[in-house]
Order: sequence, then structure tokens, then C-alpha cells
Amino acid sequence: MQKSSEEFVNAIENKLNGKIQIQIGTLGKAAITANNGIHRDLIKVMLEVDDQTSIVAITGLDLGTNLGVYYHFRSQSGYYTIKAEVPKDNPHIQTITDLIPGALFAEMEGNDLFGIVFDGHPSPGRLVLSENWPEGVYPLRKDVIANQVKLVPPKNVAAEPDDNKTVKIIIGPQHPALIEPEKFSVSVEGEIVTKVEPRLGYVHRGVEKAAELRTYIQDVYLVERVCGICNGPHAWSFSGAVEKILNVTVPRRAQFIRVITLELNRIHSHLLVLGHAGLEIGYETLFQYFWRDREPIMDLIELTCGNRVYESMISMGGVRRDLKETDSPKIKAVLEDLRKKIPFYKQLYENEPTIKARMKDVGVLKREDAISLGVVGPVARASGYAVDVRKDEPYEVYGEIPFKEIIYTEGDTWARMNVRMDEVEESINIIEYALDNMPKGPIRVDIPREILAGEAVNACEAPRGELFYYVKSNGTDMPDRVKVRTPTFANLPSFFKTAIGGSIADVPANFVSLDPCFSCTDR
Amino acid sequence: MIDYFILIFRILIFPGFTFILALTLFCDWIERKIEARIQNRVGPLVAGPGGILQPLADFIKLLTKEDIEPTSVKRFVFKFSPLAAFAMMIFAFCFIPIDGASVLSTTGFTGDLLIILTFATIANFILFLAGWASNNPYGIIGSTRVLTQFLGYDIPLYILALSPAFLAGTLSIFGIVQSQTLPYFLLVPWAFVLFIIVMQAELEKDPFDVPHSESEVVGGLETEYTGAKLAFIHLTRDVQVVFGAALVVTLFLGGPNGPVFFGLPTFWHALWFTLKVILVVIISEYLTTIFARLRIDQVLNLNWKIMLPGAILSLLATLAVINWVIPLVM
Repeated sequence: MQKSSEEFVNAIENKLNGKIQIQIGTLGKAAITANNGIHRDLIKVMLEVDDQTSIVAITGLDLGTNLGVYYHFRSQSGYYTIKAEVPKDNPHIQTITDLIPGALFAEMEGNDLFGIVFDGHPSPGRLVLSENWPEGVYPLRKDVIANQVKLVPPKNVAAEPDDNKTVKIIIGPQHPALIEPEKFSVSVEGEIVTKVEPRLGYVHRGVEKAAELRTYIQDVYLVERVCGICNGPHAWSFSGAVEKILNVTVPRRAQFIRVITLELNRIHSHLLVLGHAGLEIGYETLFQYFWRDREPIMDLIELTCGNRVYESMISMGGVRRDLKETDSPKIKAVLEDLRKKIPFYKQLYENEPTIKARMKDVGVLKREDAISLGVVGPVARASGYAVDVRKDEPYEVYGEIPFKEIIYTEGDTWARMNVRMDEVEESINIIEYALDNMPKGPIRVDIPREILAGEAVNACEAPRGELFYYVKSNGTDMPDRVKVRTPTFANLPSFFKTAIGGSIADVPANFVSLDPCFSCTDR
Repeated sequence: MIDYFILIFRILIFPGFTFILALTLFCDWIERKIEARIQNRVGPLVAGPGGILQPLADFIKLLTKEDIEPTSVKRFVFKFSPLAAFAMMIFAFCFIPIDGASVLSTTGFTGDLLIILTFATIANFILFLAGWASNNPYGIIGSTRVLTQFLGYDIPLYILALSPAFLAGTLSIFGIVQSQTLPYFLLVPWAFVLFIIVMQAELEKDPFDVPHSESEVVGGLETEYTGAKLAFIHLTRDVQVVFGAALVVTLFLGGPNGPVFFGLPTFWHALWFTLKVILVVIISEYLTTIFARLRIDQVLNLNWKIMLPGAILSLLATLAVINWVIPLVM
């Protein structure tokens, strides 16, 4: 049953009275301060009160003598943050992976970047840092200067003894199935996958650290570079977080233009992965068709933003370019053309026997697993888990635009692809509505260079799912901490769940149906 | 003396080696062009008019590339299997009557149908060895897939090839071609359709191209190959495709049979043969473009659960035609 945020907070307060402090209205719906140990009880209570509560991110913070561990949660009534602190010289905190399996990667990352030790974590080890990074140097702590770190030769890891039944197939870091570098050791018995061991971090660039060393205006462009495909949502999430700290409202025209930009981004990203999926199942014709249809959308992005790929359109306080009156019919014509083509693809997915053979019942993710792993975006919606930031926490003008939330219940690769196709159609509707209802007026407000001290979380429905930002300012022109939780980071654990027990031949199709983006994941 | 001269000419130039090679490259171009047009692309365009020389250019380019031999390969097999497979395919081709007679200008011998099918199998087995010898996980998986698929689909292929043989009452290719006053695909269309599908699997084309699925096994058996060796593996593949088409033409479409208008009958026979081969290549390429790749277990299921029983049923139906339908018409 859906509960309002007041009910949710009251329920928690009643159960854990006195042990926690609640600040309403900060860092989502409420920030709850809890110490080591209590935070586990708190999470248990949250899961009891709302069984759809799942982890979004774990933010580490350098607070001087202490390290902050902020757990960001999403429940049906909104975002909540649990604040915990551990001393820097003994940074131990109990793991929550047994309560919420989706926290697995987030905790490993906290260990990598801040040295926070999560006691009881099932697979401690490096996640994003490379093997030659020295032990005991945690890059996101304030005392570490990144370019003065001396790299050390990596330790030789003893090879695991082979047994005769399983063969280890290494997918990546260079492999035709992966466009970006990441390594997955897949153990197979015959053709059946028995184990998947990931090694992430091949494209870890330290964007979060770099953001702390740049001004806010530079950071907008920096965070866009986290991901080439969904750069718009990154710029929006960062700008939106800063606007939340400053309590600034963006002019209405700018909000509409932002929506158009974000939706164009979604259409081109979805068409990209739909085509790529065709390539993975050996359906080259489908690939060529989808990418042919993506091209006019890229032209539209160029028309509206001036750039083909990196939009650099959304900035703090508004947008950088206005939409010309004459552009509106051009955009509509292209979108109308695309809308006419979608039924063809829909019936192809419906009727083509080889597509169904390769995608139906492949990589089935059950709804319960989707919730416990904290899966987001089209992957979650294909499993019947209705999570869409545009609906749950409407930002900009999404609240007033009528559009359907696409939900499929099959949870397989086929459903994930269908969710995307339907969403392309919905995005076309959204853009057309926005073009028709866009008021005239200014397109931005001024934002000071130095941002008042404060902190904010902000989430955006990127093409791949919920994109989450935490920004903390300290009164200077540079942010104190920028935390980026990308959708692929949340979706990856589901792949390890669904791949095991399936055929090795299903791995590429299953994997690409997550629309993985590793430069997002690694940042 | 002149006989020897003609024989050498036939083996080396027409309708032997050079002609087969030219036909192969031409069919490769047609394939690429058709695939491109179906996929709304332009395809090869630069080398020669309409890009017709592109396959040749690609072949020459690969010949000039550096030839890397990894240290872990089984040297001998790795080196010679691409050439051996290529030679095997060309040799099998020599038994097909391209211009009315086979390349060796004989009418063949009884049972040469079995011989060329066997050669084709051996050629594929050599390719399997090529992948195996490269000692690379992808190569080994790719080549075992080749073997699994090829051996499986060989059984229905042989059974289906028996239909024309039964109709003609002989296992000699020349005999089969001769007796096709009416092309057999009209008499036994079901066998023709099944044969095309099985051929698609034999040639490892979509939806059966699991040995080459690059998203799973990178380059399959070709993974470790470079330069001239890779060029010959590619060429062998292309010859295989044309050989498959030629087999369909010979068994079901009346081979080089067709009206002779004027001049040399050899020319007209070769023309009809080429046109028919191109038709089959187009059909096969069309099938390739409209399907996604199946999984290896789905491919094998299709083989043992549908294709094999289908082939046996088709043979029984052919026998029924021979025993009851043809006597009625004749």
C-alpha cells in the first residue's frame, strides 16, 4: 500500500524513538541520522514499512575527523537518506548487503574510494581502482592529491586451479560484444554459465574527484563527459542539485526546453540500444534499420542544441540556447516520421520467430529480485517494478505532461526491448506536447558563482534509468563533494543474477538488454 | 597433344580455377550488394563499377597484410589447413558440370555425387582443424561449433540429395543433370525447400551462423588468423557458398540445362548455370538478412527434431512420386 512520506517517517519514528534524529525536507523527503548498528535496524524498519524500499547509492564523505556514510534510499513516497558517521582512523561499519543485496557494489566502491570497511561484506575487493593503485590511499579523501599518488606494480595473483569440467571464457576488456572495456570472467560447463566474475574500473577517470577541483560552471561540462550517450541527464541532474541548494526556480520556458532536450536524448539512446541488441543476436538488418532511424534524431539534437552528441544545452539556472519558432515544425515532422516506423518494429518483435527464440524467456528478472537489487529504468519496468522518476518525483514540467508509464511483466530481454520501443513513442508524445504548450519568456536565471553551503540530492530519469546526484557545497565556487550514481551501476548486479544458469549464447543478448554503459559505471 | 592443351585450359581457365574464382568473387559482390540494399545501405561502391571489384580488392589487401603466427599454435596444421580446405573445395567444384560437362571434361562416374558431398565435408573438417590448431579459446569453441553443426546437418543433406538421385535413377551428377528435362524442384518442391534450408545451415549463414557469432566467440575459428591465411579462409568460405548454390542448381534446377540460341553451346550452358547460381545466392542472402541468429542448442534442436525427420519424410514422398505419380503422367 502506498504511504505518504509523513506516514512513512512517523512509522519509523515510532519504532525507533530516541535512537535516530529526523530532519524533514533535506536530502530527499527526510534525512535520518543513525549511528553504526542502528542503521541496520533502521533499514529493517524501512523495509517493513514499505517493502518497495531499495537502495539508490551509498555516498562517502570526508568530514574532517570522521567519514560520513550516507545511504540513499528510494521508497514509494520518495527519497530518504540515512546519515551515519565513522571515525577516520577506524572506519568500520556493518554491511547492509544481507538486508539489501543491491548494496553490494555500492559498498565495494565506498571501500575503494574512502577506505570505509563494511564488516561482513561477502566479496571485499577492488571495484573501480586499478590493481596498481597503492594500498591505503583513498582518492576521494581530502588529503589525497590525485596526481601525486605513486602507483605500485600490481601483486601477482595466483591463478585458480583449473578443474576439468568448467571452461573460463573471458569477455572483455576487449571483446566485440562490449563496446566499452570491462572484464567478465564467465565460467561455463558445456554451454551453461555457472559463475560470472566482474572486474570493473577500466574506464575509471575519477570524475567525482575532478569535480571537487573545478568550479560549478566547469563541472556542468565535466559531468556531461561521464557518459556520451546520456550526457543531457547528467548535466540536468547536476544543475538541478545546485538549483535545489540555492532554492532557485527555473523559468517555465527553460523547463519545457529541458524536457525536450532530455526526451530527444532518450529517443536516440533507446534507438541506439535497440539496434545494438539486433547486432548481438546476429540480426544485422534490424541494427541497420534502427540506426538509420536514429540519424534524423541526431540531426534534431544538432538543430536544437548546436551539437550532435554533447548537447551542452542544460546549465545551472536554465538552458543555454532558445528554441526558434521555425524549428518546431521541423522537429514535429521528423518525430511524426519516426512514429510511423515504430509499429513496424513492434510487429517484428511480436512475430519474428528468431527474435522470439533469442529474446523470450532469456535473462528473466523477477519483480522481487528487481526490487531487492535496486534495479532502475527500463530493466525494472520490464519486470513489473514501476519505478520512473518522471512519475514518482516529477521534475521540471513532467508533472503536467500526460504520458504513460510503460510496464511489462515478463521481465525478460524481449520485454526490456519492448519497454524501450514503447518509451520512444511516449517520448515523441511528450516532445510534441512540450512544443505545443511552451510559453514565451526568459530561458535562464542568473546563478552566483559561489554557492552557499548546503547539500542536495537530485534524481533524473535518464534513458537507462534513474540517475542520482548528491552535491554538497561549502560556500566557495567549487563543490565539496559530487556523488554520481549512474543507472548501469544499479542495473549491473541483475545481470549476474540472470546470466547464471543460462546459456553462454544468451549472455550477449541478456547483457545488452540492460543497455550497459561502462563509462557511466566507472566514472 | 591438343587434348592435353584443352584439358589444361579447362582446368586452369574455363570452366576451371579462374572461372570458379571469378564466379565466387562476383557472387560475393552480389551478396554484399543485396544485403546492403535490403538493409537500406549502398554496399560496396568504390572499387570498379558499382564496387564490383571490392571482393577482389579485399582479398588482395589481406594477402599483403602482415602474417602473424602466435607461438602457441600447432604450426603445421595452422599453416596448411586454410590452403588445404581451399584446394578441397575447388576440387569438389571440378565435378560439377558447369558448361555441360565437368571441368575434367568427363561425364564423371557413378557415385560422384557422394564424392563431392564428402569433399565438402572434409573441407569443413579441415577448417575445424584450422580453428583447433590455433589453440585459442574462441577458436576452439568456434571450431567445435562448426563441427557440431556441420556433422549434424550433413545427415539431412545427404538424405535430401538422394531425392534427385532417386528421380534420375543414378548417383552420377551428370546423369542427374541429363535427366532433368523438367527441373526437379517442380517435381519435388518440398525437397527443394528443405535442401535450401539445410544448405543455409551447412554454409553457416543466418539464422544458423553460430560458429561466427562474433558477440560470443569473437572471430570463431578465424580468431588467430591474419594476412594470407585469413584471406584463404575467407576465400574458402566464399567458394563454399557458391559451391552450395551450385549444388542446389545441379540437383534441383537442371544445372546448365537451358535453351541454346546460337554459337557455342558451352557459352550458353555456362551462362544458364551462372544465372541459376546467382538466383540461389540471392535467395540464400535474402534468408540471411531477414533472420536473427539462433542459439547453438536451438540450431541442433531444429536439426534433429525437424530437419532429419523432414528429410526422411521428404524422401518417402519422393519415392511415392516416383512410384505412383510419374507412371501416371508418362
